[in-house]
Amino acid sequence: MIRYVTRRLIQMVFLFLVFLTVTWFLLYILPGDSVALKYAGNPNIPPQAREVAMERLGLDKPVLIQFRDYMFNFFQGDLGVSFNQYPRPVVDIIGERLPRTLVLFLTALVTYYWAGFVAGKYLAWRRGNRGEMAVTIGGVGLYSMFLPFFAFMLIWFFSVQLGWLPISKFLDPEQWRDAPFAANQVFMRLFWVALIAAFAMFAANFAGHRSHSRALERILRVGGGALVIAGFLYYWFGTESGQSMRPYAGDIAFHMILPVLTLTLIAFAGVMLLTRSSMLETLREDFILTARAKGLPEGVIRDRHAARTALLPVVTSLVLAVATVIDGGVITEAVFSWPGMGEILISSVLNEDIPVAVGAFAFIGVLALIGHFVVDVLYGFLDPRIRVTEHG
Amino acid sequence: MVERNLPAETHMADPFVSEPIIQEVDSWWRIRLALMRRSFRDNWKIFRRNKIGVFGLVIIAFWGIMAVMPTVFFATGFWSPAVYDPVTGLELDPPTRTMTMVERITDPNTEIDQRAVLLDGRIPDTLRIGDTFDLPLQPAPPDGRHWLGTDPLGRDILSQLMHGARASFFLGIMAAVVTVVIATTIGSMAAYFGGIVDSALMRFADLLIMIPGVALLIVIGAVFTYQLWHLAVVIGILSGFGGTAIVLKSQALAVKVKPFIDAARVAGGSARHIIFYHLIPNVMPLSVLYMMFTVTGAIQSEAILSFLGILNTDTSWGLMMNLARTQGYLLQVADFWWLTIPAGMAVTLLSGAFFLVGRGMDEIVNPRLRRR
Amino acid sequence: MTARRLPLETSAGRAPLLEVSGLVMRYETDAGEVSAVENVSFSLGRGEAMGLVGESGCGKTSVALSLLRLAPDNARYQSGSVLWEGVDLLGLSHQQMRQHRWAEISMVFQGAMNAWNPVYRVGDQIREAMYQHFDPPLKPREMDQRVERLFELVGLDPTLQTRYPHELSGGMRQRAVIAMALSCEPKLIIADEPTTALDVIVQAQILEELKEIQEDLGLSVLYISHDMAVIAQVTDTIGVMYAGKLVEFGSTRDVFHRPRHPYSYLLLSSIPSVTGPRRRPVSLEGTPPNLLAPPSGCRFHPRCPWATEQCRKDEPPMMEIGPSQWAACWNSDQVPEMGEQLP
Repeated sequence: MIRYVTRRLIQMVFLFLVFLTVTWFLLYILPGDSVALKYAGNPNIPPQAREVAMERLGLDKPVLIQFRDYMFNFFQGDLGVSFNQYPRPVVDIIGERLPRTLVLFLTALVTYYWAGFVAGKYLAWRRGNRGEMAVTIGGVGLYSMFLPFFAFMLIWFFSVQLGWLPISKFLDPEQWRDAPFAANQVFMRLFWVALIAAFAMFAANFAGHRSHSRALERILRVGGGALVIAGFLYYWFGTESGQSMRPYAGDIAFHMILPVLTLTLIAFAGVMLLTRSSMLETLREDFILTARAKGLPEGVIRDRHAARTALLPVVTSLVLAVATVIDGGVITEAVFSWPGMGEILISSVLNEDIPVAVGAFAFIGVLALIGHFVVDVLYGFLDPRIRVTEHG
Repeated sequence: MVERNLPAETHMADPFVSEPIIQEVDSWWRIRLALMRRSFRDNWKIFRRNKIGVFGLVIIAFWGIMAVMPTVFFATGFWSPAVYDPVTGLELDPPTRTMTMVERITDPNTEIDQRAVLLDGRIPDTLRIGDTFDLPLQPAPPDGRHWLGTDPLGRDILSQLMHGARASFFLGIMAAVVTVVIATTIGSMAAYFGGIVDSALMRFADLLIMIPGVALLIVIGAVFTYQLWHLAVVIGILSGFGGTAIVLKSQALAVKVKPFIDAARVAGGSARHIIFYHLIPNVMPLSVLYMMFTVTGAIQSEAILSFLGILNTDTSWGLMMNLARTQGYLLQVADFWWLTIPAGMAVTLLSGAFFLVGRGMDEIVNPRLRRR
Repeated sequence: MTARRLPLETSAGRAPLLEVSGLVMRYETDAGEVSAVENVSFSLGRGEAMGLVGESGCGKTSVALSLLRLAPDNARYQSGSVLWEGVDLLGLSHQQMRQHRWAEISMVFQGAMNAWNPVYRVGDQIREAMYQHFDPPLKPREMDQRVERLFELVGLDPTLQTRYPHELSGGMRQRAVIAMALSCEPKLIIADEPTTALDVIVQAQILEELKEIQEDLGLSVLYISHDMAVIAQVTDTIGVMYAGKLVEFGSTRDVFHRPRHPYSYLLLSSIPSVTGPRRRPVSLEGTPPNLLAPPSGCRFHPRCPWATEQCRKDEPPMMEIGPSQWAACWNSDQVPEMGEQLP
């Protein structure tokens, strides 16, 4: 397992280098309005910045030297300076936005994968072709829903018509006017709290799954869940740091509902359809018959045998879906004016703030690679066959 | 006996011998064509039973008709280009609403009720408080002249919708063709040659499937001004060298181990000959399936880029929503539904329809699924 | 001629463990009803080994699955009963049936490869069954000891229980499946093609071991196979099935040496004999009938060289041929002796 992880890690680092190279050549060598032209002709660039940029990037130097300088600077954490927020370093902007994106993105990802998996599991279990067409068309309808359109429909319905939820942005400026925290501190705290809670939940579930006595499993699952929730509540209501931050964290969570809902509704159908067909396939396997013959209760056959095995292709699909999911996140951020990585990517592209655009894209690439790595490791963890026989 | 010992060159140069070879090539194609026709007929029979696929096909046909209609309307004079052109058309005589002047507002562009903006953006100076006047409505709701109303610039929505369908078909099909041409070639080559060619191409594909495509398309927009066909080519390259190539390669691998490939190799077929005449035709069905999925992705990507205002195009569903957004109508769905719902649903329906057809075809291409 | 019922008392005069009588099971499909099991009756005593043979699709697996009530959802039991120690299994609730499974009747499935869930360790999958059926539950220690003993019993190294299924060879997996089938001390094991996927040597070893275990533990085993040779090695009685019907039933010795149903005869004659008299292998012509619309009269008549008008019209009942042999054939006296040349 450790060897497997190390190997994947090395592969990822290598892939990241290739990714940076390809991106650089794509953007700097592309015909037409090249970067050099954009730099020279961009009215947004302050004159002194233009000179600095031209010199620093050495746009008159040979291509390979430029490339070397770019890579060198990148790994020193120097991604250049924003034109629109001159002279703010790009790294600074990205550092500010990364936690906001992570919190939104991970929440949405966990929500919709879970929802899709559970929905698909029960749909397959109920079986019967009745409703197959309705489920497929409904699922494909949601899945191919034009994201901005759907998001605005939801905003219109929940925020404009019903007035329940905020229209956009990630916090309510009124409330934050004299807040003792920077928004990012709260985001980081949210991120860690959620991560710890998720990990504890996973550990409890996993321990339950491993134990063979049904009673122990239930105790571990329910008890672990309750313990996590209790810890969560204790942190926000019982401790001093939690209490002081709670209203602000709450405000952010409130602003997160609609974007997460949008992403979940659009993306969960894909997971649902996949889980359903994977589960139907698994249910035809001989080991399901064996499990039945063993006299196991239906719920155990469904969860421990069918769903557990049907999960494998669903996790594999996550490998392919990481990119799609990030795309969805980028668009959602733009629609909800959620000031994260995706939003800065789009606004910098529209404002021709090239250093920021390239930097943001590079970090989105990093996110995709990390996501890929995590999924790979998770898969190795879930499928014992991978751990031993490993190719490529 | 004597002939058999003749050197090969003599054989090739002999006109009497080379003739049958031409004939053979000719009949080879005829066989291929007949086979294709037969397999098409058989597959259509299977496909027809799949209600979901047929449902998708019906939607595609609907939008296909929509895409052709403007040509018919303009040719027959039913639509006059001055009014119905999707870009430059203008309704000069829009419906009006009677308004009463309540308060004089100095800056009508920003302060006045958005629903009552005059064509030239001003309210006549002669009006006093209490006077009534007819305010032309732009965007105007659907009526007999404009079945789906007009947009804030006085252009016909239905005409834009139809032209948008045309653009989507053009883009989707072009992206799909580029994808499949690249992916089939790459996949077959990787499968046939194996070794270093295979690993190089496949590692590159691994990288491409990891890159968030829409984010990449957006960032390319930072340095490059897109036309529609550029987008089609970029999408085609991304998907053709990426995910589609991987799938088609595994299919090509399955074909490669079949006896007729060995037979072709023993018969002295060159690598190029085997790849293009034996491998690719057998990978084709799966290619067509992946064309459908590429079309879905391409239509969505285009709509998003033009919605964000990154694409340099003048008729597109995404652009219609972009206009509604920049003019501030997007969140007034109840009052200005015709500005958002037709375009948004169009993207959803057409891309979804291609996806449904793909799923329907999946059952033909993957016999494993063809049960019940 | 009147049809006689099959005996309720078998060889040693013990009360039968299992008695299947007049079982009719059909699958409902879009194309119509498939008559998979038609009026099948047999009984099986304690400690006895019985075989069911027939071509694939003849309904032998459907019979086996019926004993555990594991047939697919579209199966319909039209009539008949499956008496297990006097209790009709077809009448039990799902809950009661579940308690019967594995604890009373367990099964060795065909293709041991797929009988294991790939994501769990072999030992854990065996424990899972024991957790379900022992009341009061076994302590973890006892459970471990039991698994070890089971592995030793089937000739496997007990340390293998921590392996995943894909880490075992085909023969090991099949042995482990047998260990799993024995785990809850069942009275009957159904072995559905227990050795088909294995090579000949391993096949012979496993059959040998199964037979030993059966005799040592006093188990009943129902073997299901398309392979007459396999069945003959290990069983006391044989039932031959054709197109959903039991066409011949009797002691293995009788059926094997003097088959009285043309189908059994042809099936046996198609096996070349090494030790017996030389004979021309006989081939069975034609294909099994479409069970959506089974042939009238005797279901075998379209392929039977001795078929008469009566065979086409009337269905033959099971008729007693000898002290321990029954055949459903109007012309069983026409069937030649084994080794005779066909006319």
